[in-house]
Order: sequence, then C-alpha cells, then structure tokens
Amino acid sequence: MEPLDVDLEEGEIELPAEPMHLNMGPAHPAMHGTVRIVLELSGETIVKGDVQVGYLHRGFEKMCERGTWAQVFPYVDRLNYVSPMLNNVGYALAVEKMCGIVVPERCQWYRMALGELARISDHLTCTGAIAMELGAFTPFLWYVKAREMVWDILEEETGARLTHSFGRIGGMAHPPTPAFKDLCRTALPQILAIVEEGERMLVKNRIFLDRLENVGPISGADATAMGWTGPCLRASGVAYDVRKAHPYLKYDEVDFEVPVGTRGDTLDRFLVRLGEIRQSKRIIEQAVERMADDGPVDCDDPRVVLPPKDDVYTTIEATIQHFKLVMEGAKVPKGECYSYTEAGNGELGYYLVSDGTGTPYRVRIRPPCFQITGGLSRLIEGRMLSDIVPTFGSLNMIGGECDH
Amino acid sequence: MPTFQLDGKTIPFEPGDTIIRAADRQGIEIPHYCWHPGLSAPANCRMCLVEILPKAGQRPMMLDILELDASSGEYKPVQKPKLQPACYIAAAEGMEVLSDASANVARARRDVQELLLLNHPVDCPICDQSGECKLQDYWLTYDKTQKRMRDEPVHKPKAVEFGPTIVYDGERCVMCTRCVRFMDEVAKDPVLDMRQRGNLNEIFVAPGRKLDGHYTFMTEHVCPVGALTTKDFRFKARVWFLRTAQSVCQGCATGCNTHLDYDPRNNKAYRYRPRDNEKVNKYWMCDEGMLTYKEAHEGRVLEATVDGAQRSVVAALDAVRDMFQGVPTESVGFVLSARYSLEDNWALRELGLVLMGSKNLYTSGRADGYEDDILIHRDKNSNTQGVRQLAPGAKSLQALVDDVSTGRIHHVVALGGSAPVDVTPLRGAKVVVVAAHRGPLTDAATVVLPATSWAEHSGTYVNARGMRQIADKALEPQGSSKPAWRLLADVAVALGYEPSWTKLKQVRTQLIGSAGADASSPSLPTSPAE
Repeated sequence: MEPLDVDLEEGEIELPAEPMHLNMGPAHPAMHGTVRIVLELSGETIVKGDVQVGYLHRGFEKMCERGTWAQVFPYVDRLNYVSPMLNNVGYALAVEKMCGIVVPERCQWYRMALGELARISDHLTCTGAIAMELGAFTPFLWYVKAREMVWDILEEETGARLTHSFGRIGGMAHPPTPAFKDLCRTALPQILAIVEEGERMLVKNRIFLDRLENVGPISGADATAMGWTGPCLRASGVAYDVRKAHPYLKYDEVDFEVPVGTRGDTLDRFLVRLGEIRQSKRIIEQAVERMADDGPVDCDDPRVVLPPKDDVYTTIEATIQHFKLVMEGAKVPKGECYSYTEAGNGELGYYLVSDGTGTPYRVRIRPPCFQITGGLSRLIEGRMLSDIVPTFGSLNMIGGECDH
Repeated sequence: MPTFQLDGKTIPFEPGDTIIRAADRQGIEIPHYCWHPGLSAPANCRMCLVEILPKAGQRPMMLDILELDASSGEYKPVQKPKLQPACYIAAAEGMEVLSDASANVARARRDVQELLLLNHPVDCPICDQSGECKLQDYWLTYDKTQKRMRDEPVHKPKAVEFGPTIVYDGERCVMCTRCVRFMDEVAKDPVLDMRQRGNLNEIFVAPGRKLDGHYTFMTEHVCPVGALTTKDFRFKARVWFLRTAQSVCQGCATGCNTHLDYDPRNNKAYRYRPRDNEKVNKYWMCDEGMLTYKEAHEGRVLEATVDGAQRSVVAALDAVRDMFQGVPTESVGFVLSARYSLEDNWALRELGLVLMGSKNLYTSGRADGYEDDILIHRDKNSNTQGVRQLAPGAKSLQALVDDVSTGRIHHVVALGGSAPVDVTPLRGAKVVVVAAHRGPLTDAATVVLPATSWAEHSGTYVNARGMRQIADKALEPQGSSKPAWRLLADVAVALGYEPSWTKLKQVRTQLIGSAGADASSPSLPTSPAE
C-alpha cells in the first residue's frame, strides 16, 4: 500500500483498467422476481451481461407428473401469474386436444372473454411497471387501478383475484355469472379511458421517451431466430400472433388487428402492448355479444367432466363418476401432443405425453418469456447500466414462467 | 392350434376353451363379474355377452323385442340379434365373435350395468372395495349414463357376519355367486348359497353353520364388488394409497405367490392378496397365510440386545467380538434357518464353513403343523428346501442342544428366533442370534441382532416343490434392522474376517455358484393378479 501523502504528478495516476463486476439481482427490485444479471462494466457501459434465471425453481413440470391431469391447473396458474387465465385455457385446450374434445360454443366465447381480460391485466402490469421503474409512479397507480377493475370481474366470475384455477378439462369450473356481460361492458370503456390517459402522460414526456426510444432494439430476423414470440416479437415488425396464424377457440370469427412495431426498441414494445389492450377490448366486446346466455358450458363427456354435486350424494352412478375422476383422474388417451396458444408474453406451448392413465406422464411447458429473457444480454450489451431497467421491464419477464 | 376371430383379431385357443378364457390368455378382457378363471361358469351376470356372427348361409339368431320410440312414445316391434355369454360358449374354429366392435354388445353391457346398479347403495365413500371395484370400472367404461329409476331402491341386510372373518353386505352384492362356487369347488365346503329370487336375491350361510374353515378369505378375494369384506381389512385403509410388492407367503412350504399391499407413508403392511401362479397356488391362498402379512410388524426384533438390555448394533457387535475372543472354531455352532432366505442362509454358511472353517452346521425352523390337500403344507417354514440344498449335511437343532449339553459346542451363531424343540439348555452357551422375530432362540441368546423381515428386503425362497421364488422388498427397514446377510457380514468383520459380500448383488452372484441354487432350477413366471 502506497502512502497517501506521496507527491505524485497528476498525469502519473493510473486508473484501474479492469472492468468492474456488478451483480444486479437476484433481489434487485427491478429484477421482477428472481433474476440475476452478472454485469461487466466499463465505467457505466455494459461490456457483458450474463443473465441467470435459475433462482426461482419449483420444478413445476415434475410436480405435474404426480397428480391427476386436472390437478395441473393450479400449477399452470403460477406460470405467468399476471394472466393465469390464459395459462388455464391453454392447458385445458391441450388436454382436450389429446382427448379429442371440443367444448360447447358458449364455453369457447367465455374462455376467450376471460382470457382477453387476463391479457389486459398482463399488459397493464407490464406497461405500468416500466413507467414506475423509470420514476413515473402516477401512471403505474392508474394502470393498477384499471387492473383492479379487470380483477374485480375475474373475482366475480371465479372467486379468486389472482390464481383462479378456473379451467377444467372439457369446460370451466362454473358457467358465466348473470352479471358477466354487464360487468365487461361497463368496465372496459373505463379501463380504456385510464389506459389512454396514462398513455398521453407518458408518450408526450421527453424524459420517458429518451429512456425508451432506440434503447434495446432487436431486428425481426434476430428476434425470430431467438424464438421470440408475442408482443416483443411483434414490436420488431413480425406480425406473428397465434390467434391469427393458427386460430383456436373462436378467434377466427372475431375482428381484431395485430399491432406491430417498426424498430423493435423498448418504446415499440411498450406501444405494442398498449395497442393490444385496445384489441383485447374489441375481442371481449364481440365475445360477450356472441356468447349465449344459457346452454351448457361443460362438454357432455362423463369420462372427464364431474357430475353435479347433488347427484354425487344421492345416486351411485354419479358417485362412481365423481370417484373415478377425483381418485384416479380423467384417463387421457395414450399419445402425445403439442398445443399452443397466445399468452400474455407470446406463444405458450404445452407438450403433453400420456401413457393412458389418469396422471400425466410428462408435461413440458414452453413458456414464452424463457426465450425472450434469453435475448436480454444482447439487448443490453454496449448500453448504459441504467438502460437495463426499461429494457428488462419491456420484456415482461415473469419469474414463475421462466422457471426452468 | 385352432383360432377364431374376436373383433377381427385372430385368437388361438385350446379345444374346450370358452371364448372368454381364450381371450383372457391373449390379454384381452371381455368384461365379466361372475366368471373367474379358477371357477366354473354359471353365466349369470350377463356382462360378457358377445355377438356371434352366423356361419355363411345360416340364418342369424334373432329376438323379437319391443323398442320404445322416443319421438312417438310408442313401443314398436323390432328384432335384435341374440347375444351369447362368452364365458359359456366354447370357442370353435373359424368362429367370428364381436365384442367391443358390436353396437348390440355395447348396448347390452350398458343395460346390464344399469341393472346391476339399480339398487346399489351410495356406498363408495365407505366401501373397502372402492378403487378396485368392477362396478366402478365398468360403469365408466361401458355405461356412463345416470340413473333413470326413480323408485326407492330395494334394501337388504347390511353388515351380516358370515363367520369369524367375513362380513356380508346384501345391497352391494351383484349375485355373481363366485363366493358360493369357491366354497363348493375349491374349499369343498358348500356352506354358502343363494336364497330368494330377483330383487330379493341374497347370499346366505347354511343354517346352523358359519363361514369358517381355512379358505374364507378367498370368498372376499373373488368378490368382484364390495359385498364381502374381511374383518381384518375392513375400514383399515383406502386402496389407492397402498402400493404393492410381489411377495411370497412365509406361512408354510407351499410358497404361495402374493401381492403385499403396504402404505409407504407410514411404512405399514395392510394385507396380502394372492398372486396368480398356475404352478404354485393358482389363484388362492389359505386364511392363515393371508394373515401372515402381520408378521412384518408383530413380534419383531427391532433393536440389538446384549444380555437382554438394549444396545446399539455397533455395541452389540463389540460384545460379539469380546465373546468370541480366543474361542476355537470347532466349538462354535452355526444354525441355519428354514424361515430365512437363501441369501441369509448362504451368508451364515459362508461365515461358518469358509471364513471360520467350522463344520458344525445345524438347522432351525418352526415345528410341523396342520396340512390339507389344497394348499396348506405340513412344513411351516418357507425355505426348508433351500437350506437343505445349501447345507445337505446340517444337523437338527436337537443335535445342537445335545452338543451344547455335552459341552462340545459352547458358542453359537444362529439365524432366526424360532425353534421346533426346547432350547433352554442353550442358555448355558454363548449364543448370537440374528433374527427378525422373537422366539425361543432369541430368548436364549446372549446377543440379538435385528434383521429385516421378508417384507423389508428382497430374498429368494425355495418352496416344497423345489421352486426358487423371489419376494420383493415392500417396506423400508424398521427400527435398527438390516438384512441378515448384511448383519452377518458385520459379524464377520467384528470377528476379524474379511467377508466376500457387502452387497446383495455379490451375495446372489456367489449364491448361483453354490449348491442349492443352480441356475437351472425352475424360476417362476409371475402373472399379474386379476
């Protein structure tokens, strides 16, 4: 150690030239759940960013192999936990594909309406959080207020605000409540008003724009090559949306557009999400319009659908049906399938393998944000340390979904 | 071999086979309640009805029936093919049979199933059969419709005591008469029969008699529904929590193949079920054997003792070392046990003959008992033949008692606690016993080491007919117990020898080369229980 009072010429002082290492996360508040980025910094410029996602690990794919097919629903609730209904519907569709079941039309419209509500909640959370993490707390509170309106509807329908576990093989846990249509029709214009008010605040704000514009851009070709899907891919100009490209439920019967960006930067990702909220509103309005007020929601197949509870207590047939479904689980035919839907962050795929028993042999989940988070390091390398927060925020990494 | 067609598949059969039996051999199930491969066929449940196509040029057998036309609400006369029970019709060359492929058969099965459930109580939540009940399985496969009858179901006697072991529930009974036929045909004790007709049909015990004897458990085993339950298993466990290990009954030298059902959550055995094996026990087991699953827990040695006081296994092994210090090997006796596996006995023989160079081998076991000409063997030890093959020259336990009395032997290493003779004189000697269960030998022992029972390790047993059979591990070792062959390796180390085995694989590899376990002895096919 050199003594401090050595009289040195100023020009002789050598600053350390080695890059500085910095851990961002796993407990950093802007690291959405538990992600760690090991940064190599030259000054404030990121030389290298090593994104590590393994800090949240529950092994949910393995857990799925223990219970029955129906007992997987609570697990998929906890994938992307800001839009659990989309995960529920996606899983139900996957199992129904294996069983060769098509749910009644009323259920299809209901699933679409609930799913799009969840998508709105997902995008509100993401866009609100981007603003908040850049210091704009007011729009965040507004957006969370709008999200509360969505959750109020979902709570009314499912009984739970966040983890609904509402999907069922061959139907839904309950039919729509009588108030469902009115709730949607009342809440949606209010939600959209809040979204637009927040948008006006943000996209005319120089500071906000400076932090987002041209930050973390990615080309459509690169994004496709990395397996990106969803709003992040569409922000780069690739109009791939499972709902349009491979329609499921009744998406081919409704009018909606797929918002796309041009530059693929953080601002585009922000704006695409806001655009999708508007489209979701259109879809919900049409779904609610076309959904019948009565009629069956569950399919008519005693091998997968639980009997009415009254009958379970009074008739042996329903008792047997209930018993077989609960204790042994619905028997899914032997085979495998890949089924995919458009979730909040992109293509949510389920690859299921059944050995013909009531328990899944394998449940492989393709969570959209796993691939997207994989592209984070190339978005931030060469940029400033402070750019991580908006860039990472715009990817909407959800820890529960990224668990692999 | 002649063949016939079942749903387009070619099924070979032996002359005299019924359709259902030939299909069963090919692993194709035609649903049935009353048919059992080990019993006669009364064709009374009508669940196995199949459609037999007429031969070319022959007229099909048709029935005139009235069918309700739902649209007009009127009955119309129509015809339908006459179906025939697959359990009763003998297969014939070139016969074309439709089972799952026939809509008429599907409808008949649905109707039969609906009929069987008409008066069935809502008992699944409290029924022991729930989870392995044919009514449940077949309803979901072949019926799937809800109840149409709106009348009050017929009520019949419930929880009727048939005897010391069996309880009967008339409401759950589907009158397949399997239990009646079992008692008639296998147990040769026609104590059960049917009375009344139609809705009032019920099974009853001959007046003045009880359902007793040595094969009462099998009436419950053949019951396809929850009508007969055993007092032993009643309300003890729910079957979907149980796991199964393929085991071998240790009750006598017959070596009946069993399923040992246990609950892994509390490491407890709950029951035996016979495992079908045409060469040994066919489909059956005796009552005494069915209850021997309890020996996995009762009368167990779970901790080591030295002079009656509980010690750790390590401390007990130290005591063994001190005990055998400077003892000449010709004064040490080794007692094999006919109740322990080949592996355990091989390890003891290896310790005595090879490591210590002694020639003093003896055998112990349980005394002979009741026998019959169905399954129960006089010899109450599961591995007498195996020990005889391992150590043909071994002397009886009485010889050991005599040798100890004369002072020729004053140290003993023994396997197992049971003894067919009075072993009080052994108290004068220093005795080390490796045992899973307490018995006269453990009472006379200075040091007792806790061995695992047959339920807690994989072991080979040779039955009275010389067949080697393996009982799989079901439970985790209880207390401080370890497999006896492993403890004997520890004893060898404590005595200053180097045992050649510390793993089961090593024991089995060396066992194959040794007497009594040549690879050519018949190994048994294991067929799943029905």
